[in-house]
Amino acid sequence: MSVVREAIVADASGEADEAMAEGTAAGQGRAGRKVLPIVEGVVLVAALLAPLVLQDYLTVFATRVIILALFALSFDLVWGYAGIMSFGQALFFGSAGYGVALLARDLDITNIFLVLPAGTLIGLTFALLLGGFLLLGRHPSSVIFVSLGTLTGSYAADRLARGWYYLGGQNGIPSIAPMTVGGYEFTEGPAFYYLVLGILTVVYLLCRFLVRSQFGLALAGLRENEQRIAFFGYKVQHLKAIIFAIGGAVAGLAGSLYAFHEGFVWPNMVGVVVSTQVVLYVLFGGSGTLVGAVIGAVIVEGVSFWLSDNYRDIWPIILGLLLLLVILFRPLGLISFVLGERERVGSFGAKAKKNIKEKRNAP
Amino acid sequence: MANAFVAAFEILSFGAIIVLIVLGLGIIASMMGIFNFAQGEFVLLGAYITYLAYAKGMPIWTGMVAAPFVVGALGFVLEALIIRRFYAAPIVAMLGTYALGLIIRESVRGLIGGFYLTVPEPVGGSIDIGAMHISAWRFTIIVITLLVMAGCYLLLSRTSFGLRMRATLENPSLARASGISTPLMYGATFAFGSALAGLAGALIVPVFSLYADLGLRFLIQGFVAVMVGGVGSFIGPVAGAGVIGTLSAALPWVMAPVVADVLVFVLAIVFIKFRPQGLIAGKGV
Repeated sequence: MSVVREAIVADASGEADEAMAEGTAAGQGRAGRKVLPIVEGVVLVAALLAPLVLQDYLTVFATRVIILALFALSFDLVWGYAGIMSFGQALFFGSAGYGVALLARDLDITNIFLVLPAGTLIGLTFALLLGGFLLLGRHPSSVIFVSLGTLTGSYAADRLARGWYYLGGQNGIPSIAPMTVGGYEFTEGPAFYYLVLGILTVVYLLCRFLVRSQFGLALAGLRENEQRIAFFGYKVQHLKAIIFAIGGAVAGLAGSLYAFHEGFVWPNMVGVVVSTQVVLYVLFGGSGTLVGAVIGAVIVEGVSFWLSDNYRDIWPIILGLLLLLVILFRPLGLISFVLGERERVGSFGAKAKKNIKEKRNAP
Repeated sequence: MANAFVAAFEILSFGAIIVLIVLGLGIIASMMGIFNFAQGEFVLLGAYITYLAYAKGMPIWTGMVAAPFVVGALGFVLEALIIRRFYAAPIVAMLGTYALGLIIRESVRGLIGGFYLTVPEPVGGSIDIGAMHISAWRFTIIVITLLVMAGCYLLLSRTSFGLRMRATLENPSLARASGISTPLMYGATFAFGSALAGLAGALIVPVFSLYADLGLRFLIQGFVAVMVGGVGSFIGPVAGAGVIGTLSAALPWVMAPVVADVLVFVLAIVFIKFRPQGLIAGKGV
């Protein structure tokens, strides 16, 4: 552990070259890599063991948290990696929720192999449409326009859902039938928990592969310096649209799981409230590291659940204060206490690390 | 005829309310490049102060006069403590002001509970023109909005304070070299924008009643209005607010309110996409 800490310290103070000069470059590189799998492993083991020690009603709560962590992952892809501020991520989450709710209500389709792909597809489609409109075009859009555009989209969807009788208006769609596979019904409980955890793990690994690929490296570069990446010949707007669509698909998957887990959908699910909620998770946990998003969701939801009994009224105020402190003093989130800055850059291939080092040395 | 007149008045008065709310937002966005997510909560605070004055048995107008000063002072303090750190990064500024807004909103929610609290109109009754009645208070809002607009314009374009403010925002280093205290000007601009929000909140609370999510409702409309009007000038956001306010009030008369509600936002976003500089491009007043 001390090696790790030293590596991080060396990293942080920009003395990586010295370490290299002393011939510890390999060790330093290994150490820098080791922290992340440890954190991920701890989180996974904790998640696997959780239902064994939690009471039933807490398992239900934990399932919800895992779904929200999946949702947080989608926002982290978009904001943490590509630097697109999507203030309307709930639009994809909620529209997929509404979509599968309608499938279950009107067409009696609850088969897991149909509804989850359907939800993912709905999220993907909406994200493609909105992202394509906001991000693509002759002139690159400003970050302000994209963030306010997504916010407005989410708000408009909220208003639409509230006013549209077919979607249940203010009350949303209640009592959605449970998800099924064959004759088995997924109701709240350990089975649902492990299903969701399995999905989260698979999606997490896919995302991890994605952000560690060349594509992910280009995205991280795009976040740090969009112009430079454009000069390298990347089609920056296309990269953004692609990751935005992927984020939308993941949000859609989370939304459809959420709809079936809660058993109802309501207008808030597409609206600004949930959109900003997911921003909170990722900022707390640490944007630009996938595990940060997951941890952020768990911490925010966990603490709010824990405090909501006694301090229901002041909890949102505390949350706001904490958020402000994190933004001011820990812009990389709580995860930055254990992970170095370089985890946000990622690496691709064996030689990539050297490139990064050169980049770091550049002014 | 009478109906059309009433409709026109309703549209005009809602447009005036949106203009009033957007004024402060627009000044902060145009002059400082910050989209202040806490602006809606400044509106809420203005409304709350007015309610407080009413609940304590004071005349309502004392609350309305106090609101802009209190909220403006708060804005000045917040700028000095927090907002100042965000100038370099617009997105971080959004998140930071969002956090501030969350704190203010939830504090007010804690104070008033989940209720809708009504505040009576200080100028009650209606103005009768022939067979038509229009609300006297809404008429007052229109008049005050016009006065505030004129006042802001004169302040920015005709006074030395306005000149220094514009100089600071256009070229900070040159302004500093000319002996203008730029941090003070930023603080003053932010305080001024907040004070306008406080005033807006104070004036609209008799119309919309007081509830914790009062500000949120106008925030997004305000942002869209600023973008439609064009960031960078004083007159741009005002024009945008006029357009958005008029559209949101007028469309429900000709189509289903749900569709109208959404259509305004869709139209606005499409407009901004194809004309990013907004209705009125360019810097200056």
